[in-house]
Amino acid sequence: MKVDILHRPDSAIAKIDMAPQEELVAEAGAMVAMSSHLDVNTTLRRGKGGGVFGGLKRMLAGESLFLSVFRSGTQPAEIYLAPKLMGDILPYQMTITDLVVQSTGYLASTPGVDVELGFQGLKSIFSGESIFWLTARGTGLVLLSAFGAVYEIEVDGEYIVDTGHIVAFEKTLNFSITKAGSSWIGAFLGGEGLVCKFQGKGRLFCQTHNPGAFGRLIGSQLPPR
Amino acid sequence: MNEIAYSIDHSPAYASLHLKLKANQSVLVESGAMAAMDTWIKMKSRVQGGLMKGIGRMLSGESLFVSEFTAEGKPGEVLVSPGVTGDIQHYYLNGNHLMVQSSGFVAASPTVAIDTQFQGFKGFFSGESLFLLKVTGTGDLWFSSFGAILEIPVSGEYVVDTGYVVAFEDTLNYKVEMLGGLSFRGLRTGILGGEGFVCRFSGSGKLWIQSRQLYPFINFLNPFRPTKSS
Repeated sequence: MKVDILHRPDSAIAKIDMAPQEELVAEAGAMVAMSSHLDVNTTLRRGKGGGVFGGLKRMLAGESLFLSVFRSGTQPAEIYLAPKLMGDILPYQMTITDLVVQSTGYLASTPGVDVELGFQGLKSIFSGESIFWLTARGTGLVLLSAFGAVYEIEVDGEYIVDTGHIVAFEKTLNFSITKAGSSWIGAFLGGEGLVCKFQGKGRLFCQTHNPGAFGRLIGSQLPPR
Repeated sequence: MNEIAYSIDHSPAYASLHLKLKANQSVLVESGAMAAMDTWIKMKSRVQGGLMKGIGRMLSGESLFVSEFTAEGKPGEVLVSPGVTGDIQHYYLNGNHLMVQSSGFVAASPTVAIDTQFQGFKGFFSGESLFLLKVTGTGDLWFSSFGAILEIPVSGEYVVDTGYVVAFEDTLNYKVEMLGGLSFRGLRTGILGGEGFVCRFSGSGKLWIQSRQLYPFINFLNPFRPTKSS
């Protein structure tokens, strides 16, 4: 399987060339175009998070209920995948470390990777952004999508990121929700609100823009629903 | 040949079309898309191909009028920007036809005819466009997208989600269908937010797709709208 990410970072689209007998799992709706002989199956099942309950959990996570599975069969095939919003696609090679993905950041993965809903505890409720995170484990490639460009931070020690800017991070990092300033009042008046504080050693992927902030800015200018 | 000199700048995110007209050369531009021009360029609104065709264009979501810009007496420049951010693609028509998604028209030579074609209910469920523009004649054509444009040379069969089709050569046949594997136990995933309706192209020819769709972006913004106070 060969993955090329074209038109980075604003209009990124993934072109995937599949060899015969290969398989690819993608978020339902991510398919833009493909070879006509690709076999497509849309399923609720995926890893431990499979079955109807897994699907419902995924829906709660802001992820669509369905995952599509693409199989190349006897011939090579190509497929284009794209996220919904403007922004970049990040290929991440999974090995032994699990990856925690912000719920809307999952685009696609190879069959060796299990994607399941990982509840990160009550603390994430207070992050105000998304309660649910997906945990990817196994070996293979994961394609992540970001709003805006993606940048990587090698955390060694401690690091702070605004909750709306997190795309994914390695499970070797612990995180806690905290306030940006020294006082709670200052944290909210300053507009920063709550932030994620990471501790440990591992890779952290951030997006340059915050979809929630963008949505609130534009949305408030639109006529009421 | 009466080709129009041009460049496409800032693509694919913010593509704008820079037309360099020769003395007395004209170009048709989507009404309202002119961003800047030399002072000696004369603009004239026109309903291409008569009123009925113009009304057809209005129905297809395209503005009723196109504007004709002419560099009177000496060479001049016109800068054209489509309404949405994205990419622009050039195509030279040589007596053949090109089908363009109805909101994709940017500019063309005056020798090119633009026709709306009712596609029946072929494209109805795409949420995108019931109409395609059929462009015929000889001359330049520029069309636009939301997101980047990718060219796919089709030989045989190819499947594209209906919302991502930008344009295709008329040597390609197409039909809109529900892709079987995208439904689950009778549940149509297309309704539940996944892809469902696709265009199946067959034959040999070029096809252009866009890397984003406008509708999902609008759907993303919708929950952020204020709620009506009763």
